[in-house]
Amino acid sequence: MNWVALIPALPAAAFVILLPMSRQVRNKMLWLPLAAIVGSLVLSLFALVQVWPGGEVEEPVWAISWAFAQVGASTFTAGFALDSLAAITLVMVTIVAACVEVYSIGYMHRDSRVGWYYAVVSLFTSAMLALVLSNDLLFTFAMWEVMGLCSYLLIGFWYELEAPRKASQKAFLTTRIGDLGFLIALFVIFANAETFTLSRVLETAPEWAPGAALAASVGLLWAAMGKSAQIPLHVWLPDAMAGPTPASALIHAATMVAAGVFVVARTLPIFEQAPVVMSAMLVIGALTALLGGLLAAVQHDVKKVAAYSTISQLGLMFVALGAGSATAALFHLTTHAFFKSLIFLGAGVIIHAAHTQDMREMGGLAKHLPVTTATFTVGALALAGFPPLSGFFSKDEILALLLHEGHPVIFGIVVLASGITAFYVTRLWFRVFTGPEQTEQLHEGHTSMVAPMVVLAAITVVAGLGTTVYAALLGHEGEWPAPGMWLLSLVIAGTGIGIGWWVYGRRSVNVNTRVWKQRFGYFYDALASKFYFDLTYSFVLVKGYFRLTELAAVFDMRAIDGVVNGASRLWVRGTGATWRFDGAVIDGAVNGLATLARNTGTALRGLQTGRLQNYQRFIVGAVVLLVLGLYVVMMVKGA
Amino acid sequence: MLTWIVFLPLLGVVACALLPKDRPELPRWVALAVTGADLVLAAIMVARYSPSGGLQFVERFDWVPQVGIQYFLGVDGISMPLVALSALLTFLAVIASWKIEKTPKFYFAMMLLLQVGMNGVFAALDFVLFYVFWELVLVPMYFLIAQWGGPRREYAAIKFFLYTLLGSVFMLVGIVVLYLQAGTFDMMQLAELGPKLGVGVQWWIFLAFFLGFAVKVPIFPLHTWLPDAHVEAPTAGSVLLAGVLLKMGTYGFMRVSLPVLPDAFHSWQWFLGALAVVSIVYGAAVAFAQADLKKLVAYSSVSHMGFAMLGIASGTAAGLNGAMAVNISHGLTTGMLFLMVGMVYDRTHTRQISDLSGVAGQMPVIAGLMAFASFASLGLPGLSGFVGEFLSLLGAWTSPAIPPWMIIGAAIGVLLGAAYILWMLQRVVFGQPSALVSGQPDASTREVLSVVPLVVLIVVMGVYWSALLAYVNPAVTALAQSLGA
Repeated sequence: MNWVALIPALPAAAFVILLPMSRQVRNKMLWLPLAAIVGSLVLSLFALVQVWPGGEVEEPVWAISWAFAQVGASTFTAGFALDSLAAITLVMVTIVAACVEVYSIGYMHRDSRVGWYYAVVSLFTSAMLALVLSNDLLFTFAMWEVMGLCSYLLIGFWYELEAPRKASQKAFLTTRIGDLGFLIALFVIFANAETFTLSRVLETAPEWAPGAALAASVGLLWAAMGKSAQIPLHVWLPDAMAGPTPASALIHAATMVAAGVFVVARTLPIFEQAPVVMSAMLVIGALTALLGGLLAAVQHDVKKVAAYSTISQLGLMFVALGAGSATAALFHLTTHAFFKSLIFLGAGVIIHAAHTQDMREMGGLAKHLPVTTATFTVGALALAGFPPLSGFFSKDEILALLLHEGHPVIFGIVVLASGITAFYVTRLWFRVFTGPEQTEQLHEGHTSMVAPMVVLAAITVVAGLGTTVYAALLGHEGEWPAPGMWLLSLVIAGTGIGIGWWVYGRRSVNVNTRVWKQRFGYFYDALASKFYFDLTYSFVLVKGYFRLTELAAVFDMRAIDGVVNGASRLWVRGTGATWRFDGAVIDGAVNGLATLARNTGTALRGLQTGRLQNYQRFIVGAVVLLVLGLYVVMMVKGA
Repeated sequence: MLTWIVFLPLLGVVACALLPKDRPELPRWVALAVTGADLVLAAIMVARYSPSGGLQFVERFDWVPQVGIQYFLGVDGISMPLVALSALLTFLAVIASWKIEKTPKFYFAMMLLLQVGMNGVFAALDFVLFYVFWELVLVPMYFLIAQWGGPRREYAAIKFFLYTLLGSVFMLVGIVVLYLQAGTFDMMQLAELGPKLGVGVQWWIFLAFFLGFAVKVPIFPLHTWLPDAHVEAPTAGSVLLAGVLLKMGTYGFMRVSLPVLPDAFHSWQWFLGALAVVSIVYGAAVAFAQADLKKLVAYSSVSHMGFAMLGIASGTAAGLNGAMAVNISHGLTTGMLFLMVGMVYDRTHTRQISDLSGVAGQMPVIAGLMAFASFASLGLPGLSGFVGEFLSLLGAWTSPAIPPWMIIGAAIGVLLGAAYILWMLQRVVFGQPSALVSGQPDASTREVLSVVPLVVLIVVMGVYWSALLAYVNPAVTALAQSLGA
């Protein structure tokens, strides 16, 4: 079964082959990464067959590990293990990645560096696949970081422009703030478990020193909050829209943000030793779900709506994790991956057609882009949690879980967030697809772009049927939503959609939102300023750090180097005195006075002329010392 | 074998001196041949080295028997990788210096002489011999900076010379006192006799050595000679300065301070760790504010070497492995960064970050290699920089003498390291090509070849840690055990 290792290895190989090629050759070799990801997809399906039908299995069906270092008495290994959780996630990642890569043929074909784009996408996918299979936390961390690099390269793909450059840097540094937590967690884990091997770590977790599980889970949570864009580390994700749209689809669905949720789900037994952290996760998730939804509701950029929506949906997954259910979180991760990548790919077609990202400048696309409209609608309804699309089932599971575990307040917040979600989705839909056309010559996307969207839409429609299968795979008793849940979801989604339609859908009546904006002035300002997160960070952290480093540089030059130069100046003066004495005796008073004037003259000149003599004196001094030392030694020895 | 590795370049010095003055293209070929041969010898040494075999390739005979000074060479897992690093970087530095026009005879002679000193320091196991090589390094480096350097080269060269000389005077005092106390210059024997000395004596000797080594590393606040020397030195000088000379300091700690003076080390541990963390954070912060590319890389060296010092301060096997990994990796990545900066400088004749922009659009190969070196240097897992940072921090975490806040501080240094590197990339590599950048040719074959070995080693070391640690681990594990960790 070692072929499982090929699943991450194929896209990695595509990257390695493309890397040293010249730009022209690379651009002509797009079939290679495509073939690689399709190969991975097929192998992932085989892998799923291997774990079928899942259930309560203690051992992974396949495992392999390589030792890459011996440190002291410990051996560091990198290893893969295939269990049902890994297998199903592999399938999800490869499907989304394959769709994104096929779509990119049409979307990116005119770019002069399309080959490089494909190389990075391959590496990105490979790192995520390896992370999913990883059975060693250090190796997981390595893949985690490689993904950070890839998102940096993709977000900043159009590096000639200012915005992508800034956004890529912001993404890398913000997620790296989170990664510090991962590092510390690794140290804590190694200090207690004496290994990074995941299965061993989870086994020993209950026996760790007091506080160790707490420290490790805080670190891991912090890291996941960076990667999965949870408040307050979410600020990089909306800016990350500066990258190519299909890359956004990848980052938002299959890789990057999924990694945070996945790693927490994997290490949940450590979190269970620290209930405080679970509660914190619950609260952070709920807050993120709510604030992300609110922010999505006031964006005008189509991609930004989708970005804040991702933040909000990831919040839901954290809520599920905080409530103790990896299954619910991962099921929502999976369904979300399909419908969110669908929405992003649709947004790409829309942006290509309308030549703008601002939905206020769009309208009437439905008539000209029938397939895109249909698939986008499926994605939008799934996001709104409308039954019987997949988003309904996964969101329902989280709601049921919250009720079952007894978190009424969080439940309320999630319900509210879901309503807001339905609202902003509707707002987007009506603004883009209905009303008068704002631009001319609207074209449906190229077949290579439309086909993947159809595939994703089909999966989004049927994935809900997999609810019980998914749970069973992960060893849980899956349940179909209770009738009350259907009703509740319908009411939530219906209310959100209804309000959205009332405000934005009735093109005959223009609802003036300004009145509302004025009445809730503070609140609207807060929304418009993204709750002041970016402002605070840029003002306090970024500007503060700039200022601090400048001060440090000046301090280094003036204070520390100043002491050095001052000492040498003192030395010059001191030796200058003996020199003057010399001069006075030998050359007479006139010369001596001249030397005196020169030596007490400008410091820098004094330095330049004085130092050459100094260093000679130093050498002489050192040699004399050495000889003297040896002489003393010989005397001692002789005696 | 070791004698050949150490003294072969001396033959090259003689050859350079004998070459006719009117054939300026000859010295570089001599240098290339000699450093190439030296590299081959070093490779043979690596191949024949047995990781678990302790001290190897030993050559010893009496030199000044009256006082027990010996000619004593040998390598173990701590010194062998450094000898190999020195041989490799000198060879690449010669390739990078191909276009030197000002008195090439003298230039390449100095470079070869420098190699004698560098190889010798790491191979010598007699204290007097060690000291001779230690001081020998200063002279050619002084001339490389002072003769082929930038506008403020004299100031920088003298500062470098005086500062490190001052440090080594203290080291000499340490050597002499140690000899008076233990009665031998044999460094291997001292590792057995030294620990028997009283803590008080050890403490003072440790102080003397500390001053000598700390200047070289350099540790905050003894670092200000480094930025000046780097900025003024020619490219090859910077490569060897950062790549090899700084390692003499950390090597000194691992060869002398820890094994010979373990009791003093324990009372110094906290202080060493604190200084290391300050170096890491402070170096990264000051690097961020630099307007000169070379100064930025120079301060980044202060930060990186801080990680090596933190690993040493931990006194654990993981930490010492980490320190060695930083030593080698920093030699590779910073050496490469200086080579890349040199290539940009050769074309644009500026190192001011504000004058540079859009290298990626104009010179994709140079930009790609520069980005590669940058990510290796900021500690991306899978490349060599991560190995040392991670193991040093891990070792410090598991060391009882290093409090957790230090590791957290150093981990923040990891973040700040990413900040100055990315900020540099954003300004220099990305964006629209600036006036000085546009129209410039991409890397030549010679230039690419001069960094390819570094790229390969950075990847190999980063992916398969044992490529280096297999040699290092037995030696440092024994050292950690002798320290009681």
